[in-house]
Formats: sequence, structure tokens, C-alpha cells
Amino acid sequence: MWKQLLRRLMLAVPVLFLVSLMVFSLIHLIPGDPGRTILGPEATPEAVRAFDHRLGLDRPLPEQYLHWLVRVLHGDLGRSLVDGTPVSLLIAQRLPATVELAVGALLLATLVAIPAGIVAATRRGSWSDAAGTFLSLAGLSLPQFWLGLLLILAFAVRLRWLPASGYVPFLQDPGQNLKTMLLPIVVTGLRETAVTMRMMRSSLLDVLGQEYVRTAWAKGLSPAGVILRHATRNALIPVLTTSGLQLAGLLGGLVITETIFVIPGFGRLIVDSILNRDFVTLQGAVLVSALLVIGVNLVVDLLYTVLDPRIQPGGKGARA
Amino acid sequence: MRPRWGRTAALGLVVAALLLAGCGGGGSGGATGSAGNGAAAGAGGTSSGGGGTITIGINADPPNLDPSGSTALVDRYVQNSIFDKLYDVDAQLRVVPVLAASLPEVSADGKTYTIRLRQGIRFTDGTPFDADAVVFNLKRYMGPESARRSELSFVQDVQKVDPYTVRIVLKEPFSPLLYTLTDRAGMMGSPSAIEKEGANFGQHPVGTGPFLFESRIKGDQIVLVRNPNYWRKGRPKAEKLIWKVVTDDNVKVVNLKAGQLDLIDTVPAQSVGDLQSDSGFRVDIGPGLGFQGIFLNVNQPPFNNVYLRRAVDLAIDRAALVKVVFGATADPGYGPFPAGTPAAAASGSVPGVDLAKVKELLAKGGHPDGFSFTLKTAASPVNQQVAQVLKSMLAQAGITMNIQQVEFGTLLDDSDKHNFQASALGWSGRPDPDGNIYAWLHTGGSLNNSGYSNPQVDRLLDQARAVGAMSQRVDLYRQVMEIEHQDVPYVYLYFPKNVKAYSARVQGLVNVPDGIIRTADLSK
Repeated sequence: MWKQLLRRLMLAVPVLFLVSLMVFSLIHLIPGDPGRTILGPEATPEAVRAFDHRLGLDRPLPEQYLHWLVRVLHGDLGRSLVDGTPVSLLIAQRLPATVELAVGALLLATLVAIPAGIVAATRRGSWSDAAGTFLSLAGLSLPQFWLGLLLILAFAVRLRWLPASGYVPFLQDPGQNLKTMLLPIVVTGLRETAVTMRMMRSSLLDVLGQEYVRTAWAKGLSPAGVILRHATRNALIPVLTTSGLQLAGLLGGLVITETIFVIPGFGRLIVDSILNRDFVTLQGAVLVSALLVIGVNLVVDLLYTVLDPRIQPGGKGARA
Repeated sequence: MRPRWGRTAALGLVVAALLLAGCGGGGSGGATGSAGNGAAAGAGGTSSGGGGTITIGINADPPNLDPSGSTALVDRYVQNSIFDKLYDVDAQLRVVPVLAASLPEVSADGKTYTIRLRQGIRFTDGTPFDADAVVFNLKRYMGPESARRSELSFVQDVQKVDPYTVRIVLKEPFSPLLYTLTDRAGMMGSPSAIEKEGANFGQHPVGTGPFLFESRIKGDQIVLVRNPNYWRKGRPKAEKLIWKVVTDDNVKVVNLKAGQLDLIDTVPAQSVGDLQSDSGFRVDIGPGLGFQGIFLNVNQPPFNNVYLRRAVDLAIDRAALVKVVFGATADPGYGPFPAGTPAAAASGSVPGVDLAKVKELLAKGGHPDGFSFTLKTAASPVNQQVAQVLKSMLAQAGITMNIQQVEFGTLLDDSDKHNFQASALGWSGRPDPDGNIYAWLHTGGSLNNSGYSNPQVDRLLDQARAVGAMSQRVDLYRQVMEIEHQDVPYVYLYFPKNVKAYSARVQGLVNVPDGIIRTADLSK
């Protein structure tokens, strides 16, 4: 098992390399020279030329990429093209808020969706099932931007219960942090919750029809015992898969949440660096995201084995 | 290079991954924690400490606070609180001395400016402000690395006359110089801080201004605190300024309403009435310096045909456009000089729509049944609305306009490379009229994206730089605009106004046409 894990970690290296090469090629395919874009409409051509020359942006692209790669291999993510801030510092400043959003969204999804999914599956056709279905459809179809603004208008402008924005690091002031993060987490986690709930419901229904569950009923186990101990555990495996996959897809939604709630997060860092053609920051940020996704997938694989010891990491049922 | 950060970030990643894992399935529900790794610096958002902390919402993150390297409008917002300038403009755009003791003495040939300085002022790091500091700053701005270089290209030399007098010698008369010193080229930074920081001066800017730089989180906020030794007695009034980056206009308005922001730098037109009718807020609408419009590429079809350019120019009902999209937040415009600026009289009066004349022009241009072209415009809601309105106006004249939305960086690039038929790009404006016209219409000008070239226009523009009296300059600009309206390399559409909205508790806001908030008098 450990050998398998090590193999997966080794595989991450070429993946990261390819990701960085792809990002570099894509950003240079977008029209717009970094110097011109960063300096903006008011810069004279000579100022742009001086800027490009100072940062080596007038060198051939392969050379620029190699220069970046060599530095990264030495553990230096480089400096932002915009103002020379170390990229590692930018990432370190932005990561906590985004991780909190992602973790909060996942927690919300887990704590709300899994029980709701279980209830919906065990009482199929009841009003609670219908309500759950309605809510999850709403969660999937309401645009985040609109919902976020509406929640701010309700809770921050009208009721004044929560601030409209103003991120405070958790370690600095936990209370204030949770207050400001509550709405963003709800908006971010809504889709997750909806998807996880639908998944939990269908997966559990599937499991409840299996032979061994009927055996368990026949043995006279209590409903709670059957559902929670036997069925749910197996039903969680596909749910876990979607949760892992969703986390990778979360980044897109995070940009919207971070914009509405003015959170200095990772999503905005990535979007800003694309708009600025700041490929150094972008590649650093994307590398870190890719690492996170790889890490999450690894953890998901490990959790499979916890839920079902027959599954081998890297073997059947695992995702690379 | 600071590998320590790399390690901290890596550690943060591991913690993050573990935390994410903890919530992957089993719902342990233990940690609601953020993986705060202690790296997040800076002040906490909007927890006001009382005593007048003013939080100002701005559209974009200032890329560079160093006046020497700065090229973005939003930089000037923050710079104006950190740096005093030699001169400033007031709400009527009159030049007033700040670090200079009086207006400069200009020699009869217009080539020598003698500036006397205020005495007894120090930069916030203790360095004295004197003639040496001024010479140091101006020479730096003239240097090859400086974005100010073109503004000072007419300067031959800067000399120290005595400890508090400076002389600027020009290669030839250049009337826009005085206004140049009211902007970034007139900002004075501490020479010792500049020498110490070098290229990083923008990250630790030091001036003589009302506030000092305290901290910043890139892309999020900049915190400035009161300069206790400010040379203007009794100012600044606020203890702290927080500049908060809020990229979305609607988000900005709700944050103002929720009390997270005290002042916002732009207000979407549809929110103006709502805020005006709320007694908790004030909306201040004043004249601006800039203009918006459309470049027509005069070197490729269809707009290498002057009749088609004129047809487009005259088929647009500017008053209706402003009414529909901007309401009170813009004025219709037919030139580069908005009302309230020194050369306003040189912009033509806005023409009415004359469809018969448009038809005649189309026929002369060989397209009696109209023609079609593509407009490239930035992908923002306002730009989209403008484009849609124009499209329907032109359609009435039989002209088909296709709209191509591009991201702003791409639009700049395409405009630079003349890769467009029509491109919607405007200008934030300068107090001196030269800054709104020269580089746009002069052959080879840095903002002449149309590729327009007319020797007569060039001559008039050069002449306007050399004559001293504004009345003479306005007359020359009027002649330029008469030619421009015949040739139409650029379709002037409207003048955006300066709209500031703020909490009724904020006192002391003066709406200067350049849009920059003078913070020394603000209090809450």
C-alpha cells in the first residue's frame, strides 16, 4: 500500500510539469503583452519596452519558460510581474481564506447533505423527500452571484446581522472570521450540498436493494443498525468520489464568491493574474492548485480503504 | 528570494490538504478551522477602531505606488495621500501651490521656470524636504526607466539655485509643464528611502503627505495611517485610511449600504437614485476630465473611407445614448475636452442626428444601402449597454454594427497593433488639454490607435504646446477639432462624470474633476 502511494506521488511530478507547460502556453496564446496589460492604457510604448526588457519579457518564450522552471526546481516560485512581490508570499497570503471557504463548503455539504440524503432515501416519496429534492434543485440552479448579493442585502443591509464583507484571518479573531465567512460558505457550499445530497440519496437507494442489506433486515437488526452501519458505509463510496471531484471544480465557484464577498482568496489571485498576463504568479498558483487536487485525490483513495478494506489504493476503484 | 515563505506555504498546503481530507467523507465535524499559517499579514478588514477610520472602495488594485513607475489611474488615488506634490489643482482646476511656496516665475521666452519651496518640511522618514530632494525626484522621473519620462521630455535640466529654490530649464517652451507638476511628475518621494529601497520603493513609499503607508495585502487592501507631523496644521483629520479593492460595482454599493465602506469611487448609474433618496448617504456628481469614444481604423476598410467615418459620427444620438445608459452620471460629448476644463470651448457642440445627411454621406462613400463593421469593446456591463444602443442607432441609418466583446488586455493589444475596424477605448483625462488631444491625433502619437495622420493637425498641436496663454491654445485646439470632425479618426461620444457616494457621516469631501480623493480634510 505504501509503495502504491509513493508511486502516485512520483507520478505527480510529470503531471505538475505538464500543467505548468500548458498554463504557460495558454497565457501566451491570449493576445496581450504582459507589460502592456500591466502598465495599462496610459503607458507610453517606450515605458512598456523598458518594462519588458527589465523583466526579460522580450526574450524568446522557451527561454522564459526554462528560466522559470530552473528557478522553481530550486524552490523559488519567482516574483509577480506586476510589482515584484514574491509569488510564494502572495500564495501564502491568499491560501488560508480559500482553504477555509473550501473546507467550510465541504463541511456544510457533509453535515447537511449526508443526513438529508439518508432521510430522503429511507422515506422515498414522503414530503421530506420532496422538500429535499426541491432544495437540491434550487441549489443547483440558482446563480451564485445573484444569490450572494441577495443574501448580503438581506443579512447585511436590511437586518445588519452579518457584515457584507471584510475577511479577518481565523487565527486573528475567530469570532469575527466566522461571522464574515458564514454567508460566503453558504453560497459556495450550496452546489456541493445539492450534488452530495442527490448522490447520497441514489447511492443509498441502490445499496438498500442489495442482498446483504436484506440479510441484515432478516437477521432482525434495528433499522438504525442496518441503515447506518451496513448500508451507509458502502453508499458513501460513490459520494466520496463526487466530493473529491467537486473540490477540484470548486475553484471556479470560489472566484465568484470571493468577488461578491471581497475575500482576498486564491480564485481572485488566479483571475487577476490571468487578466494581468502575470504568468509567473499564475503558474505558481496553478501548481499549488494542482498539488492540492492531487493531494485530495490521494486522501480520497485512502478513505476508500477505510470504508471498504477490500479496495487497494491505486487499484480497482481508485482514481489517478 | 526568501525560501522561508516557500516552506511556510508548503506547510500550509499540507495542513490544508489534511483539513480537506478530514471533511472528505466521514463528517468528523471537528475542525471549522482555516489553515491559517500565520502568513496572512495586514490589518483586519473593517473592524474600525473608532477615531475616524475611513474605508474607501476602489475599482482595482493599485499596481504600483511608486510615482516613477506608475501608469494606472488607481495608483494616483493612494499616492495622493502619501505624497504631496509641488502643485495641485482645486475643484475649479486652478493650479495651487502645495510643496512649492508660490506659482513658478516663468522667463519671458517660456523656457525657464523658477520654483520657490516651502521650508521646514520633512519626509515621514525624517529626511528634510529641500531643493536637493526636488532635483533628485525630477531627475529620477526623467530617467530611462521612468514612466514619467515622456511628460518631462521637454525638460533639459533641473538645477538647485539655493537650498529652497529650484530652476527647471526647458529645451523649448512647453505650456503643459505646470499641470504636469500637479500630477505624478510633481510627487516628491524621500530621496533616502528611494536610494534604500531602489526598485522596491513602490512597496514602501515615503513622502511628505498627510498619511503614511502602513501595510498592504496585494489585491485586497492598502492601509495608511495619519502622519502625526504633517506640515499643514490640524490635518489630516482621519486616523486611518483603508483602501479596499472591490472590483464589482454592485458589490461596492451593497458594501456602502451595509457600512463596510464609507466612500466609493464610482457608482453605477442605476444605483444613483437609490442612494440619493436614502438620508444615510450622499452622492456627489461633479465634472470629470476624461472622454469615451471609438477609434476608427483609418488605414483599412471600411473606415479608410472618410464618408463612412462621417456617416457613423453623425448617425449617433449622443444625448439619447447618455440618457439611456448613464442618466446623470455622464454628459454627451463631441470632443476631448469636457465642460469645466480649460479648453472646453474647443470641443464642438453636440450635433443632432440628421439621417438625410447620413444617407447622403453613405451614397458619397459608395455604400448607399449602408455597410457593416465590427466594434471591439471591453466586456463590462456598461460597455455592453453602450454598444447595444449604438448598434440600434446605426441600424436606423442602415449601418450594421457587429459587437465583439474582448477582455481589456486583449483590447489594448489589438488597439496598439491597429488590429480592429472600430475599437471602444476612452481616456481618464488630464487637467492640461494637451494631455487629452496631442498623443491621440498627432501623427505617430502614443495613443493614436486610429493611425491618423494630418500635417495641419500636427502643426496646430505643436503650436499649442509653444504658446503660453490658454486663450490662444484654446483657439488652436478649436481649429484642430474642426478638422477632426471632418476626418473623424475618433468618434467622441460622452464625458463620464465623477460620481462619489459616501456615508452621510463622512465630512470634508471635495470633488475635484480629476476624480482623485483629497484625503487630508476627510473625517468621519
